[in-house]
Amino acid sequence: MTDTRLMHTVGVRALEWLWAHRDGFRLEPDVDPEVGFLERFKPVGELALICRVLFREGVAGSRQADLARRLLDHTWRHTLDGGRMLVRGQRIEPLSPIPFEVYLPYKELGYSEPEVERATVLYHRLDSWAALELDPTRRLGLSAFQRRFGLTPRIAEADIVGSTWLGRTPEPWTVSGHIAYDVTHTVFHLTDWGEHPEGLPPHIADYLATWLPVWIDDWLDLERWDLLGELLVVDACLPRPTLDERAWQSFAAAQQPDGAMPAVRTMPEGEPDEVFDMIYHPTLVAAFASVLATSRSLAELTHATP
Amino acid sequence: MEQSGTSALLQGAVQDLASDVVSALRGGDHVRMSGIGTGAVEEIEGSLDLAAVRVLGADLLLPHVLFPAPPDPEALAVFRKTVEAFPPRADAAPTVKWSHWAMSRTLRRLDTPLTGAQGPPGAPFEDEGGEPDASWLDEAAWQALTHQLAVLAPLAVPGEDCGVARAARRRPVDVARGFVRAVRRRDWQQAAGAGRWLTLLDGVPDALGLEAGLDFVELMGGNDPRVALQVQAARVMRTAGALV
Repeated sequence: MTDTRLMHTVGVRALEWLWAHRDGFRLEPDVDPEVGFLERFKPVGELALICRVLFREGVAGSRQADLARRLLDHTWRHTLDGGRMLVRGQRIEPLSPIPFEVYLPYKELGYSEPEVERATVLYHRLDSWAALELDPTRRLGLSAFQRRFGLTPRIAEADIVGSTWLGRTPEPWTVSGHIAYDVTHTVFHLTDWGEHPEGLPPHIADYLATWLPVWIDDWLDLERWDLLGELLVVDACLPRPTLDERAWQSFAAAQQPDGAMPAVRTMPEGEPDEVFDMIYHPTLVAAFASVLATSRSLAELTHATP
Repeated sequence: MEQSGTSALLQGAVQDLASDVVSALRGGDHVRMSGIGTGAVEEIEGSLDLAAVRVLGADLLLPHVLFPAPPDPEALAVFRKTVEAFPPRADAAPTVKWSHWAMSRTLRRLDTPLTGAQGPPGAPFEDEGGEPDASWLDEAAWQALTHQLAVLAPLAVPGEDCGVARAARRRPVDVARGFVRAVRRRDWQQAAGAGRWLTLLDGVPDALGLEAGLDFVELMGGNDPRVALQVQAARVMRTAGALV
């Protein structure tokens, strides 16, 4: 099993980079409507989700927790303009689930914008919102978020799992990069982003216990750090995580001294905003994998103590 | 240049031999085996061809192990000559020793035991005690295990026991993982060899989808006769298993 300090350090450094580059979390209010104002919300929502995991697991050091809190404050106040940008997003594209999905983790952390909530409750009544043609993993995530918000999902999560790729436990040698991302997100949604590992149905947990080591081995050798990080999160969501030492050591070695994690192989070059857009995600994933793996590792130490 | 030229020639000779075996396995009803006796093997004279037989190993005579038809005497003679010409050195890699052991076993089954150059009749691999050591497989990670088993695919034959087969039987999930890894890497030869082993193992996870997996390997890599050989061998063994 991997040294807990190594896994923990990856997350500490990732958060330092995210804080130093917080201005990269930016919207484009004047963007061409054809391009879509909502496109740039995704990084903000992901940041909030992962900061929430960090607080929840309680394994962050004081510096890390402080940075996470400041990042949330910064993005809520500046990037989202205190939630008003989410309202604006809902007005531009009322049926898009994105503003709601970004809002939920902020709400769970104590931020509030009543108008987003009013609109969400209204849209939830619409057949149209339930009829949106989302792919099964995305639909699973939306239903999970509706449940967390306090609504009863119109489409029950249990009824969606079987439509996902992972839910059907297919031939493991057919996995491609795109399928692998579907797999990781199905696990994130079923476990509430690692909060409830028992949310994985046993047949899916068994399937992953058998095949995840192969996928980790493969994407490690391909140096696909972004996907590898997500697979390491999945490992930490399993009943018996492997916390694979070879994968974690390589993952940690790929991280830059300033905490940035390249998406693939080595660091990209370009203008700061371009570079941010290419590496914010793997760096967030590194923080996510780090906090969950550290938490599981400490839990095992606790259980092992006589 | 000379070296790579020889290497290419050897590859070509191996591919030709493998094609002959595939034909025999495909046409392999109980009436008439392939044209192994009338094809490339018949004309074998130089060391290059012996080397090619050695590369293909025991699989050269696989159709005659899986089907009742006896091998062509000339093919058998070349096979025997190869076994005698390349005894493994004491410090050879385990796969080399096992490959030779597999050929010796096939000879025992289809012909008389080794004599002459090998010393007393049947020595040194006459009995179970003559098996090379297989313990390195137990210590190998699943990736290396699968690679080594694929190299030793000629040992994957129904109803035959040996240390390598026992090591494979102990780790069906690991071999299944190795199959997935090989397919992902588009290493069709390794995938086909691993798939042949899996056909013989109990405890392979259903989710693997082995049968379709082997068909996929053949679709993607079957232009290489060495891949086609392993896939066809697995198919014949599966059918034979179903009839038992």
